[in-house]
Amino acid sequence: MEKTFYTITKKDLFDLFSRLSKEYRIFVPYKKGEGLYFGEFNAEKEDEIELGAIRQAQPFKSFISVSRENVLEPAEKRSGPVIVAGVKSCDLQSMVLQDHVFLEGDFKDPFYAKKREDTIIISHDCTTAKETCFCMAMAGMPFPQKDFDMNLSPVDGHILVEIGSEKGRAMVGGYKTFFKSADSRDMKARDELRAKVSEEVSGFISKRGTPKTTELWGVVKKNYDNIPFWQDFSSTCVECGACNLGCPTCHCFLLYDSKGKDIPRRMKAWDSCLYNTFARVAGDHNPRKHLYERLRNRIDKKLDYFPHVMNYFACTGCGRCIEACPGDIDIREIMKGLMKGAWNKPPND
Amino acid sequence: MINMKNPYSYIEAEILDVIEESPTIKTFRLKPKADIGFRAGQFMDVTIPGVGEAPFTPSSNHDVKEYLDFTIMKAGRVTNLLHGMKKGEVVGLRGPYGKGYPLDIFKGKDIFIVGGGVGLAPLRALLYALFNEVDDYNKIILKYGSRSPKDIIYKSEIDTWRDRGKNVSLEVSCDTGDDTWKGNVGLVTTILKDLDINMANAVSIVCGPPIMMKFVTFKILDLGFKDTQVYLSMEKNMSCGIGKCGHCRIGPYYACKDGPVFTYDKIKDLPNIWD
Repeated sequence: MEKTFYTITKKDLFDLFSRLSKEYRIFVPYKKGEGLYFGEFNAEKEDEIELGAIRQAQPFKSFISVSRENVLEPAEKRSGPVIVAGVKSCDLQSMVLQDHVFLEGDFKDPFYAKKREDTIIISHDCTTAKETCFCMAMAGMPFPQKDFDMNLSPVDGHILVEIGSEKGRAMVGGYKTFFKSADSRDMKARDELRAKVSEEVSGFISKRGTPKTTELWGVVKKNYDNIPFWQDFSSTCVECGACNLGCPTCHCFLLYDSKGKDIPRRMKAWDSCLYNTFARVAGDHNPRKHLYERLRNRIDKKLDYFPHVMNYFACTGCGRCIEACPGDIDIREIMKGLMKGAWNKPPND
Repeated sequence: MINMKNPYSYIEAEILDVIEESPTIKTFRLKPKADIGFRAGQFMDVTIPGVGEAPFTPSSNHDVKEYLDFTIMKAGRVTNLLHGMKKGEVVGLRGPYGKGYPLDIFKGKDIFIVGGGVGLAPLRALLYALFNEVDDYNKIILKYGSRSPKDIIYKSEIDTWRDRGKNVSLEVSCDTGDDTWKGNVGLVTTILKDLDINMANAVSIVCGPPIMMKFVTFKILDLGFKDTQVYLSMEKNMSCGIGKCGHCRIGPYYACKDGPVFTYDKIKDLPNIWD
């Protein structure tokens, strides 16, 4: 049995990326202002690369279920070998749902399937937490435990590498000189960092009183007909769809046709269930005419539909929607409200 | 057959004929360039290449392999453009999607069909499927409601349906009549009476505009049908057709893959089903 743990220095990791960039398109997170944004690996900008910290502004799903693509072109033409480094646990957790939607059932999405197959995931522990982080309430942890090809954890001056798949193992095998054996001190340092960050996330969760998934079973149904509750939360919604676009579990898309240089194109583009047209059909029938119905639909899909169909709460606690919302709609507050029961009434009324 | 390699792409189909059914409804007879079968009640997406697509349930006999009929009302961007298309022009087709009418369950029963307006289109496919093995069904009763005599679709063939079997009967009502109209005047619900149906061994299939489906459903439940015996077409915003794009969700279902036909018991407690 081959070893599952190695170490690598940061310098060697970047040298490895430089070498691999001949075969792969490599994406890494760059620090820009307060946020982290994925961009193509550039050895000259190494100083700006931040593999750790927290999740990036863009959800990882955007590498697999791309935001807009022509689905009349062959899937092969729309893909190629890619490495994404620095992926966080909350984003990995979302891929369980994305895979369920796009790879299961009677039909596979060939575009998604090809990208998924072509993409190597190098994940990374979170090294800090943000006030909007609540992964641990949503059955996650701030460090990847599965579904990666290789995971990185920073330990005393170098990086501990955990191999998570055959793809990851092959990568180490091909570049043996970069990797050294890991020892118990490395493991200990990793555990300490993980405990520290977990404590930070737990602190944010308990301070706000964010409910856990285990407490959220059935609460949407209970409050479904409580219209003032949903109206209250939707009153500041401007239907921009930012919550959907940043959300790692949102998967809905729009198909629309256009002509590109006289060749018909069918574009598949991310869509937002907050838009008035989302469920509208010909003849001006719309099952969700009101904004509160559309906001309710979003929450219902995440906290009732997916738990119902795949025993999975479709929120990973990444907090992107909270930061993105210009109306300050906070999903944690919606969850708390759902727990409380009837809105605008004392809990025991 | 569905393109399993790329479910978003379509095959070409030539318009063999365009039949004007009413001022707003036309039937397009299409000949697909590859074999594309369906079962009555399933739907397909008709594409105007480079322009757009929309879902329709074929209205022809599913045993006929040479062509597919789509009876389409002008109701939006794609359907308006389709109405401008002529014989010989080419459209795209993908599908079939969803579940068809469960003919196995219908066999040996009294089949009570209620249609409204262009909602007769999928019911025509169902009727033809029933007529293929007409003796396997105890009774086939059609009640059809149209806004006015000129809005009745399949005018030239409706009367011939009676001759398809001794067990077949039908009645048409118009919301408003005219000088030529000899039949009942009133909403379709006004002809849902004096029925000789064995409720213990019957099913009802309803398709039409949402408001009509709502009142017909209530009426036939009053007549003694159980929720599980009522089959409704829930044609929501079915875009991808394969349960992925999220637009047509109703409660725990996607209309495109779990429907578009649902028994009433499955959907009656879900929100906004009649909108």
